[in-house]
Amino acid sequence: MKIKKHNILVLVLGLISLAFTVKITTTPLYFEVPKGWPKPTYDFSKNPLTEEGFQLGRNLFYDPIMSKDSTISCASCHLQATGFAHVDHELSHGIDGKIGTRNSLALMNLAWSKDFMWDGGVNHLDVQPINPISSEIEMNESMQNVVSKLQKSENYKQLFTAAFGDSKVTGQRTLKALSQFLLQLTTHNSKYDKVMRKEEIYTEREQRGYDLFKTNCASCHREPLFTSDKFEYNGLTYDETLNDIGRMKITHKKEDSLRFKVPTLRNVQFTFPYMHDGRFKKLSDVLKHYNSLTSNKLLPKELNKSMNLSDKDEVNLILFLTTLTDKEFLFNSRFGYPKK
Amino acid sequence: MKFKIAFSILFVYQLAFCQTISDSITLNFHYKFGTEHLELNKNYISSKKDTLQINLLKFYISNIRIEYSDKSTYSQPKCYHLIDIEDLSSNRIPLTLNNKKTISKIKFNIGIDSLMSVSGALDGDLDASKGMYWAWQSGYINIKIEGKSSSCKTRKNQFNFHIGGYLKPNYAMREIVLEPKNSDSKLYIIVDLNSIFSKIDLSTFNSVMIPGEKAMKLSDYSIQMFKIE
Repeated sequence: MKIKKHNILVLVLGLISLAFTVKITTTPLYFEVPKGWPKPTYDFSKNPLTEEGFQLGRNLFYDPIMSKDSTISCASCHLQATGFAHVDHELSHGIDGKIGTRNSLALMNLAWSKDFMWDGGVNHLDVQPINPISSEIEMNESMQNVVSKLQKSENYKQLFTAAFGDSKVTGQRTLKALSQFLLQLTTHNSKYDKVMRKEEIYTEREQRGYDLFKTNCASCHREPLFTSDKFEYNGLTYDETLNDIGRMKITHKKEDSLRFKVPTLRNVQFTFPYMHDGRFKKLSDVLKHYNSLTSNKLLPKELNKSMNLSDKDEVNLILFLTTLTDKEFLFNSRFGYPKK
Repeated sequence: MKFKIAFSILFVYQLAFCQTISDSITLNFHYKFGTEHLELNKNYISSKKDTLQINLLKFYISNIRIEYSDKSTYSQPKCYHLIDIEDLSSNRIPLTLNNKKTISKIKFNIGIDSLMSVSGALDGDLDASKGMYWAWQSGYINIKIEGKSSSCKTRKNQFNFHIGGYLKPNYAMREIVLEPKNSDSKLYIIVDLNSIFSKIDLSTFNSVMIPGEKAMKLSDYSIQMFKIE
């Protein structure tokens, strides 16, 4: 009897010390909010960032184990050097060479997004990966299978233990680790940012471009994130081969027909092609589209007045847009393929 | 002294985790199709004269509350139970009540509330790997009913009802209120699938995979699915 009680005492003390070891071995990461930026939407208190969580998420992001036949990883359609977008593909490719209906979105500054995907169908960053994982034309895998495949892997046993204190794989842990990686993909060191911080200055033509931007584009592509995070109709003609009604698919509201998420313009120089269906290959095509819009009652009021951009204006505007390129982000080795 | 410390630790442990002193009841879910006992993959005839079988049945029970005859109440804190007809242990929910008062009402919700539906990746029965989470449009599937019927002119005669939705006007969670007739510690809750299939025309109404009007209708019908013995 005495021995039994002693065992319980040891067990209790053991559990207490275990709780402490777990706390000590993870390395907390600090999430930097650039000066003057809004408060992030993501609730970090529910998923405190750690180096180990980040590294686990990074491994998951680059691992095709997430797809049914181990051919597609998140990085297949989200390449770092192009702002984590799928460069040169109008519509993104998935499993068995299947082609989706939309152009994969760039991944950056996601802590400030309220909803995700072109139609905003996903309400939280944590649950976003479920979408491509279970899509029949993307990874065609179930969360159940992802969890059981990861549970069998020796490598992930170690990574999960490092991040969460034990090797148990759950859907929650998998998704939270992916969020930890995705949240760290922040970009705020472009020339634009440096000019705003008064570390650099714009050339005369870049400045002219910036002025034009503020007049014609900034109401939707709001600084400093260069998106309002809202859904808008931007005058694109309806593509009958895709029949994509955008936001209305989620809300069933008539006014949301053909509305799509306003994407960020950060690193826009490299995230081509443009628009939800990737119909424009070059930034000049995009500007030509906006410049040629005629008054239409479906258009938001911001687009209802003609931009009247001259050829020179277009060039200056593009010069400004390239100042949103952040090479420190695009070539940061921390965001690249994990080292073994 | 040593013995005393060990004993008090044991006592605290028991208080915190065991709660053997308290009274408890168990909610047991039993399945029926009309008057018959429901088994998966077996044919039944609905009151609409459809021949059908159920291949899968899962649903969430949340926010269990007890109302006593003296009007006092008990609510199970933060509980979300995924009930799966195939997983026997999921069909028993023990409740620790700490009293012996007479129960007048048992209330619970079918489905997941809107707050949890926007809270990111969750654990336990709410883990996304349980297969009750929508991918392309966030939110939990409150009830999943899948099966076959010769009345469905669909692929493999299948019908699929994935019922959910957390945004108004298509908020699909429903409250169930049951009044037990006796104060037995084992309460049997009957889930009668015929009460849904007696209301729908399977030849035209056989697939619901998104929040919306149809899911709202099925949610309303699902209230009558639950009875107490």
